[in-house]
Amino acid sequence: MPLKALLMAGALALMGLALAQEGVDPREEAKRQKQLLLETAGILPTELIVEQGKDLFNRKGPSGKTMAECDFGLGKGVLEGAAARLPRYFLDTGKVEDLDSRIITCMTRVQGFKPAQVKRSEVVAVAFYIASHSTGKPIQVRLLFPEERALYALGEKLFYARSGARDVGCATCHVTYVGKRAGVLPYADVLGKDKSWTHWPAYRYSNDQIWTMQDRIRACYGNIAHPQPDLYSLPILALELFLAYSNNGAVVEEWPAFVR
Amino acid sequence: MKRLAVMVAGLVLLGLGLSQVSPFRARLEAVLHQGGHEFAQVMLSQDKGQALCSQYRDKLPADLIPGFLAEQKALIKYPQSGKLLGDWKNGEKVFTDPKRGNCYACHAGVASEVAHGTMGPPLTDYGQRGTLEAVVRYTYEKIYNAWAYVPCSLMYRGGVHGLFTPEETADLVAFLLDPNSPINRR
Repeated sequence: MPLKALLMAGALALMGLALAQEGVDPREEAKRQKQLLLETAGILPTELIVEQGKDLFNRKGPSGKTMAECDFGLGKGVLEGAAARLPRYFLDTGKVEDLDSRIITCMTRVQGFKPAQVKRSEVVAVAFYIASHSTGKPIQVRLLFPEERALYALGEKLFYARSGARDVGCATCHVTYVGKRAGVLPYADVLGKDKSWTHWPAYRYSNDQIWTMQDRIRACYGNIAHPQPDLYSLPILALELFLAYSNNGAVVEEWPAFVR
Repeated sequence: MKRLAVMVAGLVLLGLGLSQVSPFRARLEAVLHQGGHEFAQVMLSQDKGQALCSQYRDKLPADLIPGFLAEQKALIKYPQSGKLLGDWKNGEKVFTDPKRGNCYACHAGVASEVAHGTMGPPLTDYGQRGTLEAVVRYTYEKIYNAWAYVPCSLMYRGGVHGLFTPEETADLVAFLLDPNSPINRR
């Protein structure tokens, strides 16, 4: 795939540039990098992944159905604004699901794939595609069902918990020390003005990574040398619901986003 | 019609949820176990200090502070030799090692090192404080267990958690206070 090779080369060149940059406003810098990448490669990695996701979305599963047969919260096949209303409780599974886990539900329950056949890279690509239909939409997450309220309460508890050999938790940096930094970027005010929930899923140009919020939360724990919760597990979902609800009303500038 | 049914079902569930006393702790534990064995183990083995800082979101009520500080102070162990000022050269290794001190993550140190965080105060020229016994002891105890001075501070209790030994703590003290340490020389 020459396009992908070109993108890789562009991304590597940008990584060099990125390392040389310090003390610049991270959001402005991300915009600049995005423009540069667009000029060198002609297409953004985010656009490429969205296209891949679209192909996967329209691919027929073993049951002969595409993902258009799935309900992502607003009815069968309705994608417009659906991602901005996740996580939410689904009556068909009796569970609170985020974008990632709802895609897996779709692939396994509707399309007929076996759980072991579900590839992470495909889930992420489809998440990028579905999320792209929520650009410009406000986050609207509700706590209507008891399952949603219970998970929210657990997420809040996890967010403020301090644990492990480094005595830290999410809130230590993302509430108490907002604006200070340990690495290159200052800690984001994830519950407040930075509206971090609207920054994922995203392409990270500094490491050429394609991440959903699931990956982002796991990386947070990894960065503080804390064991990470498993992918698709309830602790991640609980934190996601807490974060999303805290950012209710925030308008999604662009999904998938383009971040450092 | 379907929408109405969903609404009704939702309201019924809501009512059920509201009418029950939630066994919060049991649910929390079940959720944590779902995150994987290692994750659950760490989350469920919070010590008393961590539990208090979590509960009060890093702002302990004033009446709890004296007891908290005393308990944290009691966790501090000292080198058998009794020497709190060790070898600055080894101290620099511990200071820099991401798995032990990891100090540059939050503090400026040697002036020429630019890759440092800004979470904590700069430690450059820390040795200006001199090496009076009180300064040495404060520095040792603060490094070994920061919560013995500032409850719920971000600075993790590296000594308490065994990330560095009492001897290595004394080496860190020397790295900060020894006049020959690069922290204090330009």
